[in-house]
Amino acid sequence: MTNNRRSENSAEHQEVSALIPWYVNDTLADSERQRVDAHVGSCAVCRDDLAVHKRLFEGIDAQPALDPLKEASLKRLQARLDVAQAQNALPSIPPLAPSRSDAPWPGWMAASIAAMAVAIGLLAADRWLQFEVRAQQPNYRTVTTSIPRPPGEVIRAVFAPSITLVELQTILDEAQLKIVSGPTEAGVYSLASNSTLTVRSSLALLRRHSTVRFAEGTLREPELREPESGSSP
Amino acid sequence: MTPLAKNSPKERDNALLVAVAAGDRRALEELYLSYHRRLARFLSRFTPRYENIEEIINDTFMVVWENAKDFRNASQVSTWVIGIAYRTALKSFRRQKNHQLARSLEDYPEQTVDPTSDAEVNDWLKHGLSRLPIEQRLTLELAYHMGHSLEEIAAITDCPVGTVKARMFHAREKLRQYLPALGGGPSELPARIG
Repeated sequence: MTNNRRSENSAEHQEVSALIPWYVNDTLADSERQRVDAHVGSCAVCRDDLAVHKRLFEGIDAQPALDPLKEASLKRLQARLDVAQAQNALPSIPPLAPSRSDAPWPGWMAASIAAMAVAIGLLAADRWLQFEVRAQQPNYRTVTTSIPRPPGEVIRAVFAPSITLVELQTILDEAQLKIVSGPTEAGVYSLASNSTLTVRSSLALLRRHSTVRFAEGTLREPELREPESGSSP
Repeated sequence: MTPLAKNSPKERDNALLVAVAAGDRRALEELYLSYHRRLARFLSRFTPRYENIEEIINDTFMVVWENAKDFRNASQVSTWVIGIAYRTALKSFRRQKNHQLARSLEDYPEQTVDPTSDAEVNDWLKHGLSRLPIEQRLTLELAYHMGHSLEEIAAITDCPVGTVKARMFHAREKLRQYLPALGGGPSELPARIG
């Protein structure tokens, strides 16, 4: 290709070259796709770019999917929403101090104040009951504490605080486990089996990793009653 | 699943967002669960720490909760939600001054990767991506994992399509300099991308 020809085709080349990533991810309109097809057929540089983008696409798309702890995350979002809604509810209290001094029927005002007082009392009682319930629940658990077991749970584990999600997922994949609950305030995850791998094998695979600080079986199966598998590492 | 769920993901998202705008927490929770996985993957390009990822996702959905009534049907719900996550993450990223972690490839050592090994190439790609400027890294993720069109990425990142094209171009060039196994030589810098 001569310099003149290259110059003539430069604008088309640049425009098509910039479309190649979206040609690869198949989101171009038909007309644009045909334009790329036509240009790539006669442009070695764009064919080369196309090959590079295909490799990037395959490489990025192939990276492991995460299995995030969405249920636990959702609980924390719900707690934030509760707080936000409680804060938003506070401005509704000002009717206790009516701005109109010339209220035509003071009895309404008295009734409103009484209703508000009752509402605040009920709210306070509700909060107190919630506090009481929480206060009865210890914010720690010991290995020997009997606690409700989430459905499917076979292992409880604690991971190093520095563990990344990808590392966590890799470890769980290797041990063929999935998270069914957690982390608790103490950082304890409830894990269920993803396969026919025995709990004992899964525990052994977990314990190979230095980022697994604690792993304990929760089933009362014979293999879990063996001394070496029932205690923390 | 709420009765609002529809067959088409777009219809389902729209119906859920309408319900969220009306103050339906169950709808918000359903929307949250349906987006959590892809947002977590997307945000893992910002930070590998799950606690940071979760914080950004939850910040995003607090914004969704508070602003659902302002959503305009001109865009897709997915573009809107991911755009909020993108901006929330950038704010978090800059606030924590972590952006120095997104070093340029000039700081990265000469490539020592065996170009014949796919596993090595993928391992390199993971590290190479983490060293791209964050906007370039996320453009690649939005296009190549999440499958967004050029126009959608422009909407998500709130910038012109020409900027998206330029980010993609520079990302590819930096990655190619670092890993010849990707193939080809450096491209001519376009005078105009757009």
